[in-house]
Amino acid sequence: MKTTTQNNRGEIFAKTIHFPKVITKQQHNPLNYLLLLGMIFSVYILSMQPVWAHGEKNLEPYVRMRTIQWYDVQWSKQQFNVNDEVSVTGKFHVAEDWPISVPKPDAAFLNISTPGPVLIRTERYLNGKPFMNSVALQPGGDYDFKVVLKGRLPGRYHIHPFFNLLDAGQVMGPGVWLDIAGDAANFTNDIQTIGGKSINMETYGLANGIFWHSFWAFLATAWLLWWVRRPLFIARYRMLHAGLEEELVTPLDRNIGKAILVGIPVLVLVFYTMTVNEYPKAIPLQASLDQILPLSAKVNTGVVEVDTTRAEYRVAERTMTMSLKIKNGSDKPIQIAEFATGGVHFLNKAAPAPKQNDADSVVAAEGLSLDNATPIQPSEQRTVLMTAGDALWESEKLDGLINDPDSRIGGLLFFYDTEGERYVSSVTAAVIPKFN
Amino acid sequence: MSANLSPRTFRPYTGEKARIARAYDYLVLVLALFLFIGSFHLHFALTVGDWDFWVDWKDRQWWPLVTPLIGITFPAAVQAVLWTNFRLPLGATLCVACLSIGTWIARVFAYHYWNYFPINMVMPSTMLPSALFLDAVLMLSNSLTITAIFGGSAFALLFYPSNWPIFGMFHLPVEAGNSQLTVADMFGFQYIRTGMPEYLRIIERGTLRTYGQIATPLSAFCSALLCTLMYTLWWHIGKWFATTRYLNRI
Repeated sequence: MKTTTQNNRGEIFAKTIHFPKVITKQQHNPLNYLLLLGMIFSVYILSMQPVWAHGEKNLEPYVRMRTIQWYDVQWSKQQFNVNDEVSVTGKFHVAEDWPISVPKPDAAFLNISTPGPVLIRTERYLNGKPFMNSVALQPGGDYDFKVVLKGRLPGRYHIHPFFNLLDAGQVMGPGVWLDIAGDAANFTNDIQTIGGKSINMETYGLANGIFWHSFWAFLATAWLLWWVRRPLFIARYRMLHAGLEEELVTPLDRNIGKAILVGIPVLVLVFYTMTVNEYPKAIPLQASLDQILPLSAKVNTGVVEVDTTRAEYRVAERTMTMSLKIKNGSDKPIQIAEFATGGVHFLNKAAPAPKQNDADSVVAAEGLSLDNATPIQPSEQRTVLMTAGDALWESEKLDGLINDPDSRIGGLLFFYDTEGERYVSSVTAAVIPKFN
Repeated sequence: MSANLSPRTFRPYTGEKARIARAYDYLVLVLALFLFIGSFHLHFALTVGDWDFWVDWKDRQWWPLVTPLIGITFPAAVQAVLWTNFRLPLGATLCVACLSIGTWIARVFAYHYWNYFPINMVMPSTMLPSALFLDAVLMLSNSLTITAIFGGSAFALLFYPSNWPIFGMFHLPVEAGNSQLTVADMFGFQYIRTGMPEYLRIIERGTLRTYGQIATPLSAFCSALLCTLMYTLWWHIGKWFATTRYLNRI
């Protein structure tokens, strides 16, 4: 093959280059590669599964265990139709032993995990008070909540109540499967303004918005076409560099430009004034932080006192052993029925608790055992060795706390007396790992 | 080289040359359309983001400050290329029109059909009036300085009033949960956004309200000042990235 090249002095010379002759046994057809890629892509598409989780196990264990401690979470129903209302109620205790690395819950938002707005939230209450914004929570405080939702899109969804904590993340409550039946086209969501105007939230302002976007798009398109209809890049570049600039922007173009300079601001101000006159009662967006005080104590009421003296996690056995100094200040014998932490409930088979309605809760039905199962008598103080063991420590990714910078456990202990009265105490302790 | 032609020796292309030059125009226009729809929309989504996504983020303080400031970037850069080399005063309008196409596609398909939000909750704002004005100023002044000062300022000042006809009606007051909200706030409360707690919204944070209830004009003028600087910066970025070396070979 002959080619030309240039040396350092700019002299052009020719030289011959001989490429080695390549002998191939097989011609590679690009179509084969495309076919292979297509097959891989098809297998990938056909084998895709819907995602059912929302990362509820992803947050570090110490955050799930020692921030918002959910209990008694119930759903009014789990099968309903579009436009039907469903409510979720429950309680939560804000841990006293709030992790140092998590900002205090000065701004928290009680939310619902959904795959998009398949339900809408119509009402929300904290301690019986309606609230629309974020709220400041107090560590050690007890709260109950209620959220009312309305079915919007048919389907089967896994839904959790959860808290968004400012700068900390999401702390999930127990989740359930909701089945929404019916037709999405029948969904209605009408609200009323203070002025008495009824609004369909699904369509409100849409036609108006499309009109104004279309109006300005029409003017912009006209302006673009005005220029695009003429020869553009090469022709204009040549003319500009030939000194024919005056021919590129004609007097008519300039007059149109002047009309734009005057017309656009005038139109904008006229339309703005029309809107202001049409909606004279418009107010700015509202943003506030609701202040709702905790309830009187529901956890650590002082009747049953618990002090955690030591906690060990046996990695191989997946068991947490806690040494608890318990003082029964009630007038009836009490037993430990349940230990709940990070959304997992360890139940004491020897002291069955009345069924809780934490639908779809993660439960270790026989996961709790005590070294001394006899009830703690009134006024008795006893040190109890409690063992919570189950593979759920691992499958729920709670065993990761031994890798956390703040390796402490927190949770709620549920005691019941002989008449079914419940006492709840929070426990917390540093965790010592045992690796053998 | 064609650039060295004088008015006396200049001959416009005719016949096949003219046809090919016109085909080249359309080729560049189509490529530019897709390029700006993608790149400007991405740039806008990553920087203005929630202020343009959600109706309950469009407050009177940050929205009119942030949106024009980011919105003037690509228009300035493209104006620098199209005006300097071709005397085409359509860079801003072209960019903002592409942005509008991109945002509407995203809102309808990604936000509505994919994530189920009503479209009225995620309607984009418009900057087309501002862009038309910016193009006109550049064409009439043929000056970077004048366009930056007057065009850039007008780009910001026109933004809020040109969008109020679209979004004003979402500011009607509603009573809910023993408190006063706007219709826009109700959208944020009712239509659940798992990753968007209310406290994340940046609604009138800062000290502008110290001046009474005139946060919007103050924000708009602040944005106008910043837009003059942003315009100049992005004009030079546009010139820096642009080249006509391939045209010189024609």
